[in-house]
Amino acid sequence: MTPGSTPAACAALLRRDLTLAWRRRGDIAMPVLYAVIVTTLFPFAIGPEPALLARIAGGVVFVIVLLAILLSLDHLFRGDIEDGSMELLMLAPQPLALLVAMKILAHWITSSLPLIVVAPVLASMLKLPPEAMPVLVIALLLSTPLLCLLGAVLVALTAGSRRSGMLLALMLLPLCVPVVIFAAGALAAAQEGLPWVAPIAWLGAGLAMALVLAPLACAAALRIAMDT
Amino acid sequence: MTSPPDHTALLEARALCFLRQDEPVFGPIDFALRGGEIALVEGDNGSGKTTLMRVLTGMLRPGEGEVLLDGAPFSLDTVAGAVVFLGHHLGLKFDMTPRENLRLAAGLYGVRSGTDENAVLREVGLAGYEDEPVRQLSAGQKKRAALARLLLLPARVWLLDEPYANLDRDGIALVNRLLDQHAARGGAALVTSHGAVSFAGGEPRRIRLHA
Repeated sequence: MTPGSTPAACAALLRRDLTLAWRRRGDIAMPVLYAVIVTTLFPFAIGPEPALLARIAGGVVFVIVLLAILLSLDHLFRGDIEDGSMELLMLAPQPLALLVAMKILAHWITSSLPLIVVAPVLASMLKLPPEAMPVLVIALLLSTPLLCLLGAVLVALTAGSRRSGMLLALMLLPLCVPVVIFAAGALAAAQEGLPWVAPIAWLGAGLAMALVLAPLACAAALRIAMDT
Repeated sequence: MTSPPDHTALLEARALCFLRQDEPVFGPIDFALRGGEIALVEGDNGSGKTTLMRVLTGMLRPGEGEVLLDGAPFSLDTVAGAVVFLGHHLGLKFDMTPRENLRLAAGLYGVRSGTDENAVLREVGLAGYEDEPVRQLSAGQKKRAALARLLLLPARVWLLDEPYANLDRDGIALVNRLLDQHAARGGAALVTSHGAVSFAGGEPRRIRLHA
């Protein structure tokens, strides 16, 4: 790869973001610990009957993963804007949307993949039947990148404001409703032995659309955020 | 210093001004920078030097007037790595080493032929610090790590906002030497400063901003 070419630029940016995340691996562990602790609260709060827990397990895991992702989203572009790296990315020869997509990919790898790894453990703590586990993982593999992409657009939109954490949550959570409905719907169908492909296909369609549109929207929003 | 034969300016501003809440921050100003030319933007604190720089990078939309790069209207979509900007925020990741920071810039912009990461880090006086996290470097050394990026990238236009801040006497001489080399290669540079600056190679063009 010649330096300055598009693949080299994507690889360099991905590598930098993954290296930075690794140097601060304590931050990667936070959302995972958060998810584990919140999950353990549920049996204490609503009682340990296996039938009840199994019924709510899927929904609870999806909502907890969603909130854990929300926790980490705020840092997505903030560091780059504050230390001047964003100017470097914006003046680069590559389209900003592509570079932003790489940053979102790196963020998904560092924030969501660990959650997907622990999600089956969390679900089995809540007595989710083992035969529903593959559907849980498939639904998470499709819904977490979708949430990261939707969240990234909103992070870019709120990047200009100082304390954007709560504003981000208020704006993102309504957009997550369809994602949660389809993901939890697929899992509920699998638990009852019904076909679960249709909601998964809807998640896939949403992800395909977000993959194309979200980086473009992000790039446009970041340019507005820098124009202050 | 000799200007190249062609007369298209590398970077040109025409009646450029910037408004904040309908109050002009600077301008209207006109200037044209040809290859091999270095211009110094002077002005007191608050006279709009940094704002001018950000308008020239395309981050801020000018109120009126236009910026031309190589005779074509400048936009972030067409800049194609021809411009590199060094501002108050150095664009360095403090958790990474100078070498790693350069690697990202090189991946994005490519590398000027005939140089590499080690050579530019030696040139700016960071030999021996290549693999220390930037966090542990002094303010002046951080600045030098950012200056190394200018040397490594093939960009023809340098926009330097207060490049002399935090630098010792040697560092100031280093910036002047880098600017001279850049001009000799046919590049153009716009430098802001609020203090008195003397370039090694003769008197630079001066663009004065009034508060």
